[in-house]
Amino acid sequence: MAAIATPRIGVFATRAHRQEFIAMLVLRAASTFVVVAISALFLYLAIEGTKLFTVDHVSPFQFLFSPVFNPDANKPGSLVFIVGSLSVTLFAVLVGGPFGIAVGVFLAELAPPRMVAAMKPAIEVLVGIPSVVYGWIGLTLLVPLIRTVTGSNGFGLLAAGTVLSVMILPTVITLSEDAMRTVPNSLREGSLAMGATRWQTISRVLLPAAASGLTVAVILGIARAIGETLAVQLVIGNAAVLPQGLLGATAALPTEIVIDMAGAQQGSLLEHALFSMAFLLLLIAMALILAVRFALRKRA
Amino acid sequence: MRDAVLTLEIARAKSARGVRHRRFVDRSATTLLWCAALAVLALLTLFVGYILYLGAPAISWQFLTSPPSEVSAGGGIGPEIYNSFYILGLTLLFTVPVAVAAGIYLQEYARPGAFRTLVQFSAESLATVPSIVMGLFGLLVFVYLLRWRFSAIGGALTLTILNLPALMRVTQEALFSVPQTYREASMALGATRWGTIWRIVLPSAVGALTTGVILIAGRIFGETAALIYTAGVSVAAGKGAYDLNPFRPAETLAVHVWYTHAESVVPDVARIGNGSALVLLVMVLLFNVVARIVGRSLTRRFTGR
Amino acid sequence: MQLIEAQESTGLKMDVRDLNVFYGSFHAIKDANLRVTEQMVTALIGPSGCGKTTFLRALNRMHDLTPGANVTGTVSLDGTNIYDSSVDPVVVRHRVGMVFQRANPFPKSIFENVVYGPKIHGERNRDALLSCAEKSLRRAALWDEVKDRLFRSALDLSGGQQQRLCIARVLAVEPEVILMDEPASALDPIATSKIEDLIGELKKDYTVVIVTHSMQQAARISDITAFFLLGDLIEVGTTSEIFTRPKDRRTEDYITGRYG
Repeated sequence: MAAIATPRIGVFATRAHRQEFIAMLVLRAASTFVVVAISALFLYLAIEGTKLFTVDHVSPFQFLFSPVFNPDANKPGSLVFIVGSLSVTLFAVLVGGPFGIAVGVFLAELAPPRMVAAMKPAIEVLVGIPSVVYGWIGLTLLVPLIRTVTGSNGFGLLAAGTVLSVMILPTVITLSEDAMRTVPNSLREGSLAMGATRWQTISRVLLPAAASGLTVAVILGIARAIGETLAVQLVIGNAAVLPQGLLGATAALPTEIVIDMAGAQQGSLLEHALFSMAFLLLLIAMALILAVRFALRKRA
Repeated sequence: MRDAVLTLEIARAKSARGVRHRRFVDRSATTLLWCAALAVLALLTLFVGYILYLGAPAISWQFLTSPPSEVSAGGGIGPEIYNSFYILGLTLLFTVPVAVAAGIYLQEYARPGAFRTLVQFSAESLATVPSIVMGLFGLLVFVYLLRWRFSAIGGALTLTILNLPALMRVTQEALFSVPQTYREASMALGATRWGTIWRIVLPSAVGALTTGVILIAGRIFGETAALIYTAGVSVAAGKGAYDLNPFRPAETLAVHVWYTHAESVVPDVARIGNGSALVLLVMVLLFNVVARIVGRSLTRRFTGR
Repeated sequence: MQLIEAQESTGLKMDVRDLNVFYGSFHAIKDANLRVTEQMVTALIGPSGCGKTTFLRALNRMHDLTPGANVTGTVSLDGTNIYDSSVDPVVVRHRVGMVFQRANPFPKSIFENVVYGPKIHGERNRDALLSCAEKSLRRAALWDEVKDRLFRSALDLSGGQQQRLCIARVLAVEPEVILMDEPASALDPIATSKIEDLIGELKKDYTVVIVTHSMQQAARISDITAFFLLGDLIEVGTTSEIFTRPKDRRTEDYITGRYG
């Protein structure tokens, strides 16, 4: 009696099985597509991004460390853009990081339900505001403000960094709130039961316990900042010079790409240099993902 | 050493001064955190109020519907609004099925193993690719390799890849929130895995899923960097601007704001930027509100409550 | 009546041999052997965490759904090992239904809940579905309470009603064996006694295996009782044997309340 080996209700069961099989196939195909997409992207940019070295025989050292960017004279040194990107990102993380973590901690530990209900949609909206609108606000509000206060022309590192610090806020807030919420309640109660104040509990027990999650929040904030293009382009000043202090105009990798790509001949040294910059950005993004994995593994 | 510090702290805590000090620090910290949170709300209010103030004078029916101008003042943003919706629609058409399918696979099917790790790692990596880099990838594939030139479809496909990870995440979270007991009950009645997902899990998740999709739609609507070198910075003249043909250049509203400021020679750049920024912001707010309303009503409808 | 006699008086429905269940490296069930007799109620008792539920879930391959769970040994249903590679777990679960500890109706109407099984197995005809729903709800002693609100949400029912709905839902797929995992543990005494009466009715047509933490319940409703302790199946016997003349000292200790 092998009733279970062959489906009991004949035709219907087999149809269900056929559906199961097809569903599995489709779902797997979609998942494979994700793998194919990132692989193709990486491969393509790796090929295009190294043509500067293989076709034009520029040394990677020159590309990375020379501040002279003059593609017409075979001098695609990108130090300015690399330093520019790193400094605006650093600025954004130094300002937006602690600010975002503070709000995340607030939401997880202190906020009354009504405040959470008000903040959540607000953060959603902040995520949704297009980067070009952030840039526009920076351009028409922040830059004139800096100009009036400092007497500089307003465009530069300070403006770009400030805009970016606001833009990374939602990422940092959401992720640090999540990190705080994953701390087991027993730790919280344990500390409070010993007579610690709420702030002592947060600063000495919860923050250390959530350290890896908070690290991830900051790293993903960095990832958001370093690739941001238009908001930065509108306010950074776009001068291919190393930043002269906080008020100095400079340029970043994404802003240089977006400005010069339009005029770059296919196959030219300039185009190759821009693809090298894009590949460099991709490598940085990948490195940040590996850093996230590393931070999370330490916790486990 | 630590013990010594602790003992010291306990001793200090017991003294009245210690208690006062601790209370003072606690209050100050609480105040500070409250200020940080309120600052976020204040920033948002400031942005919305400011953009409203800037943009309102620029808005008119004529501005919203007429085509942009190449050289003179008075250009509108009609075709750009159309293109933004058109590319958004195309993108959702491609990205939702793929992302939902991949999300279902990861959440409901995949056993821990090499393939799942690979898919997850790919999605995470894809999620951090800067949108300008994605734009250059789109340029390489759709413009150079497939020779489509700048096209709506090229832009939409670029955005499809760009938004896959976020949508997968939304799918996974929506599925995760469906109680495991539903799945067990269905499987125990002799349903297949797919039957369970199709009849029980997805209907229970559809509200959260839709909310997430609409929120992401809001982000797609305002995407810029990935579109400049894929969908292009121009619109066709005349009636052609409202074409359904996906193989035509299609500058979106967000791209238009940037391009007008960066490259164009029209004298009323500020007016166009202000008005467009307002339209973009209103759309974001609208997407947020709609997301919540639709999500809630779908949940109610599909769960019989 | 002796166990063997009792089992031979009807038929053997399920035969569990050398069953082992692992969760990762944790050995949850160790070499369990049990014969489940047709049209009888078999109760699985033991202190919490002893593996009763784990054992029960091995009888319709629910462990397939738990990542990291691993089952060895054989579980035969009418002579066929349900863990054989040629066997489809979906069909196994169709024949061996399950009622869970907490009532878990789908977030759909009462009607949709009951006819879920017939629908997934291909029944489309609405009249057939309606009569199936009525029949199942009547058998689960719920019809009179819900007949006026079949199309309202099942989540509005009381806990006891929800659990009877879950039983009706299982009956609607016409299984041969019904597994119940502490079906009354979350219910008040009145709802509990309704469920117990229902189980008494059901055994006329079905084979029932029930996990319970209440010895009184096992004594009231079961014909055969199996005692589990720390993953071992210590003793199986007719319920009267187990409760009056347990052979194993540990069974006796448990019955007399030495451990809880």
